[in-house]
Amino acid sequence: MDSHAGPLNVRPSRIEQLEADFASLAPQLPDSAERKALSVLHGMVQELWRIQVSGNARQVRSGPTIDDIVDLHEHAPPMEGDAVNTPLAVGEPAPDFALPDANGRTIRLSDYRGRRVVLAFYPLDWSPGCSRQLDLYQHELDEFRKRGAEVMGISVDSLYSHGAWAAVRGLTFPLLADFNPKGDVARRYKVWREADGFSERALYIVDENGIIRHAQVSPKLQHVPDIYELFSALDQLATPKAA
Amino acid sequence: MYASTYSPFAYRPQVADVAVYGSRWCGITMMVRRHLDRAGIPYRFIDWDLHPEARDQLEWLAGGRIGSPTVTIGGQVLVQPSLRELDWALSRAGYR
Repeated sequence: MDSHAGPLNVRPSRIEQLEADFASLAPQLPDSAERKALSVLHGMVQELWRIQVSGNARQVRSGPTIDDIVDLHEHAPPMEGDAVNTPLAVGEPAPDFALPDANGRTIRLSDYRGRRVVLAFYPLDWSPGCSRQLDLYQHELDEFRKRGAEVMGISVDSLYSHGAWAAVRGLTFPLLADFNPKGDVARRYKVWREADGFSERALYIVDENGIIRHAQVSPKLQHVPDIYELFSALDQLATPKAA
Repeated sequence: MYASTYSPFAYRPQVADVAVYGSRWCGITMMVRRHLDRAGIPYRFIDWDLHPEARDQLEWLAGGRIGSPTVTIGGQVLVQPSLRELDWALSRAGYR
């Protein structure tokens, strides 16, 4: 019987998977010096693995650890699918919004006039591709700031989910909860996936005057937008001229 | 006659070639590439969506299991390394 409320399912690690592969091959090998050599090598690998694990403070585990939570996305059900939307056009005013961040503060796009904003719509917290996309942006915050840009993530998750997710991933930029009415901002930015109940993976760059200067929807949900292309798009924006 | 004290070939520590194999749209691949960029470490990026033939040898080297990115540093093969593991492997290969 399937259970949907059991304990956290920690999948086998890569070494455990390889170990299983090795075990399944062993009976197919005839007795020979080669077979013995492979066995010796396997024994050495096991010994090295044991030494490494025994030096690890996490060897005694009574349940899921914080690292299991951090890595949960690696074994989460896949999120895949083709894009179904075309974004708003470059040159249009970016629709204003007021959404809560993980701290319950209301973030208004119009409060960011005079600064560039990268709006990163992503499907859901805790999902496979989203984790890496926002990790990547966290690592690149200095590069965004050098280009005069603030980064914001937007999804339909609640502010509480955003808070937990930002905490385990170490994210310091705002995650906005497009939660009520669900997906309202994503709809206004033409990136809403009605059948899924979440947004496309999409990027907008909004300039200092609130005008959309770059818009893209990832062709597939699991595709993280190319960071080099994003930097290039920011670099190509005209430097604000002194009046 | 003075011997030149400068040559672009005067001293180069022995370091291994670094190659990053993976998908251009993969978040971990971008994190690894940007980490190498920041460290000033030259590397080749092979987009295996465009060069699927590059996967065969990697699969042999990695016990048949590869993921994006797979990084080779000399003879070391790292499948989806953390940045810490990447630094450790680079250090073993003579970088920094």
